[in-house]
Amino acid sequence: MHGLLLNLAVIGYICATGLALAHLVQRQELIHRLASLATLAGWACHTLALVVHAVELGRPPLGTLGEAVSVAAWVVVLIEMIAERQTGVRVLGAFVLPVVLILSVKANATPAASLEPALGKTWIWVHIALALIGIAAFVLNFAGAVMYLLQERQLKARRPGAFYYRLPPLETLDRLTYRALALGFPFLTVGLLLGAVSARTAWGSLFAFDPLALFSFVAWAIYAGTLAGRAAGGWRGRRAAYFAVLGFAALVLTLGVGLFLPGRHAS
Amino acid sequence: MTLFVAGLSHKNTPVELRERLAVEEDKLREALRDIQATGVVREVVILSTCNRVEVYGVTDVAGEARSVAFRHLCRQRGVDPGSIEPLLYTHVEDAAVRHAFRVASSLDSMMVGEPQILGQVKDAFALAQSCEAVGPALHGLFTQAFNVAKKVRTETEVARHAVSVSFAAVELARKIFTTLDGKAVLLLGAGKMSELAARHLVEQGAYPIYVVNRTWARAQELARALSGTAVPFDELGAALASVDIAITSTGAPEPLITRDAVGRALHGRGARPLFFIDIAVPRDVEAAVNTLDGVYRYDIDDLKQVVDANLRERAREAQRAEALVEREVAKFQARLGDVEVIPTIVSLRERLEEIRLGEVKKTLARLPDATPETRAAIEAVSSAIVSKILHTPVTKLRESSRAGAPRSWLELVHELFGLGRRA
Repeated sequence: MHGLLLNLAVIGYICATGLALAHLVQRQELIHRLASLATLAGWACHTLALVVHAVELGRPPLGTLGEAVSVAAWVVVLIEMIAERQTGVRVLGAFVLPVVLILSVKANATPAASLEPALGKTWIWVHIALALIGIAAFVLNFAGAVMYLLQERQLKARRPGAFYYRLPPLETLDRLTYRALALGFPFLTVGLLLGAVSARTAWGSLFAFDPLALFSFVAWAIYAGTLAGRAAGGWRGRRAAYFAVLGFAALVLTLGVGLFLPGRHAS
Repeated sequence: MTLFVAGLSHKNTPVELRERLAVEEDKLREALRDIQATGVVREVVILSTCNRVEVYGVTDVAGEARSVAFRHLCRQRGVDPGSIEPLLYTHVEDAAVRHAFRVASSLDSMMVGEPQILGQVKDAFALAQSCEAVGPALHGLFTQAFNVAKKVRTETEVARHAVSVSFAAVELARKIFTTLDGKAVLLLGAGKMSELAARHLVEQGAYPIYVVNRTWARAQELARALSGTAVPFDELGAALASVDIAITSTGAPEPLITRDAVGRALHGRGARPLFFIDIAVPRDVEAAVNTLDGVYRYDIDDLKQVVDANLRERAREAQRAEALVEREVAKFQARLGDVEVIPTIVSLRERLEEIRLGEVKKTLARLPDATPETRAAIEAVSSAIVSKILHTPVTKLRESSRAGAPRSWLELVHELFGLGRRA
């Protein structure tokens, strides 16, 4: 049952991605509305799938990295829908949904493995959930930064091209990027702290020589630096956008490491 | 009964002739009345702008209607009808519909996407209405043309991008800043184009406005005109640090704003972007300023490039608009045709259904022991026969109406099935 719903969700996301990209090219109101509808439909199926799965498992569907990635995709879509509504950046879907698609396909392809004994504790779930919300916000941070860099390049080059007409103003994109960062950072921080503390109790060391934990700390440091730079002033715009891309690369590496290298998160 | 449009436009008629034919409102009323009085046209709308003079109408004899209409207009304006005859174009039926849609959507305009034409078409239609020259056919055509024009405006960007340098500057500002509300503007030097750009920015909510000029009196004068503040010339550096947009247009032989000066100004202003619009020749802002992070500098050539790109973008969008118009023409024609044949299709269906129900009732009366399955089967088979029989006539009727000649078909169907006289 949950597998069927998950497939429906992926189909919804595929349609939504295609439509969002078509809207980016064609800029037709109808296509945008259809894309929003497909996104919502996919997300609704995804929600049901997660609920059914949780009931089947008798625990939150966060036990394996595959499950966690699926939940991350779910949070990304939720934040994307809210952010699009709030900022009025209608092309946001075209930049976020492809990432969602990759995440959810990856999540489906990852076989479920047995649980580590440490996963029994409640605050491990909290650790995973908080980290995931943080990661989801950083997907948006990344999408906003990519759009910013594209638009900024066109404006600097003084030769308007396709993106000049299609992307929103720089200020709007910068604000979107900043808000996503400000939202994601506390979640990631608390999530990582809980992870470190639980690693210490479970394995006696803060990082427990786990590659995922090390990489996620690198990503955290990049985001902390960007946030500090922004708060101190003068760190907006292009530089902040570059760091958003860098931070996201570290996060992707983190997840890649979790999925492919042996470690305590790999199960 | 044929829908037609006849006229001449900027495409093939020189302005000398167009301006001589252009009709003002009271003369237009007279023309509408006179043309209708000839009895050749049933409905008529005259569109007269500086770029086109067109007569839209419904007639039984299209060729004659055109010569009647233009003979009258020529007589009224003292133009030799022979001189315009070779310039006139005529479109009938779907070509006329297409033409009306394209004109209202500004796709036939000299500057594609210009916004005035829709208002002019609306005025022409309202005037004809007030002269009682509009009947159901033109009413349907024009109301739909207004809808199509609106659709073209909202669904394509054919009218969206600036085609003048000063508007292009404003548009660029809106690609940098989310809103121009409360954005501070510095105006350095005086010039018609820079003042115009500043006015556009003020209209979009830019505030406050600072004016710097080597001549203090000129600065004060311009500041008054724009409700801004005059700033002494030697405070230029400080002003740069506080504004978001700077428009320059001095006659200075050397750049007044150097990369170093802007670099210094950036220190005091966090990371707010700074947008230079340099309209002066020779230029007032050093080209290297554009290399600074968060600073965008456009000179007059850059702005012209943007305008060119906008024109290309409009042309691309115009192609999409043409496709949209094409779909709307097909829809309009289909609806027009269906309106004529639908009553017949409905009564044909009702007639056959009546026969079917009667026969089914009779048959079932003779089969008192029939099981529910049998009854259902009889219902199903009779319904299937009826819809199979109906299929071809209904399709033919629809096709004939789309081809524009449903009359003979409608009569034939009425005769064959005894549908009674049509209203």
